[in-house]
Amino acid sequence: MENREFNNLVEQYSEPLYWHIRSLVNSHEDTDDILQEVYMKVWKALPSFRGESSVSTWLWRIATNEALSFLRKKKVRAALSFKSIDSEAERVIDGDPYFNGDAAQRKLAKAIAKLPDKQRAVFCMRYFEELGYEEISEITGTSAGALKASYHLAQEKVKKEIEA
Amino acid sequence: MNKKLNYSVPDGYFENLKGRLRSIADTQQEAPSRLQRFTPYLALAACFAIAVLAGSLILKRTAVPAASDEEIIEYLIDSDMTLAQIEDYLTLNE
Repeated sequence: MENREFNNLVEQYSEPLYWHIRSLVNSHEDTDDILQEVYMKVWKALPSFRGESSVSTWLWRIATNEALSFLRKKKVRAALSFKSIDSEAERVIDGDPYFNGDAAQRKLAKAIAKLPDKQRAVFCMRYFEELGYEEISEITGTSAGALKASYHLAQEKVKKEIEA
Repeated sequence: MNKKLNYSVPDGYFENLKGRLRSIADTQQEAPSRLQRFTPYLALAACFAIAVLAGSLILKRTAVPAASDEEIIEYLIDSDMTLAQIEDYLTLNE
């Protein structure tokens, strides 16, 4: 039974979850690793999932936390090796063979990559995935009001960065 | 390909990904948990602890206090030993 449920989750959600994680971490390889971790956690937690939130909210919460944890570790590693995390993100975008955008879109991707991690998560869920504030609130555990403020602030930063 | 994100993935990636993710369930079912791996060792340690505890309890309940010198001499006198032999015993145990 659990096997079938798990396979359904793979079938139904692995692709949208991939894009959700990719929007946060940019790199295809990192996304692939994180997605594996996410599904490992899903498999372990599936028997205790009581349906207090919808399956998709539960999955997005696990994936967001996993991606944010990955970014936190990456930031620590960069700090320890005296590298700038912003230039590292730019390098990933510039060297990504799977980036198909033009120069303006590349600039946008870099501007988004410069946002603080949590703000970027909110921005990406709203901008790319077009999730509602209530939905994002359930995923992140932040109030809808705070999310609106965060999104507005992120928009301003991105705009400023593109115009610079 | 995700148009708004302007990213793409290698050809056939999602088909391959689904297969890999589905196999998580199989490998996780087969792999014993850390507790399962240590169970035989834990059982062995528990058996050893029980044996030591039981042994010490049995010894504590059945052990007779050691006899005093006077009691031993009384015993030797009551036995068929000669005085010389008893003296030898006392000399040896001085």
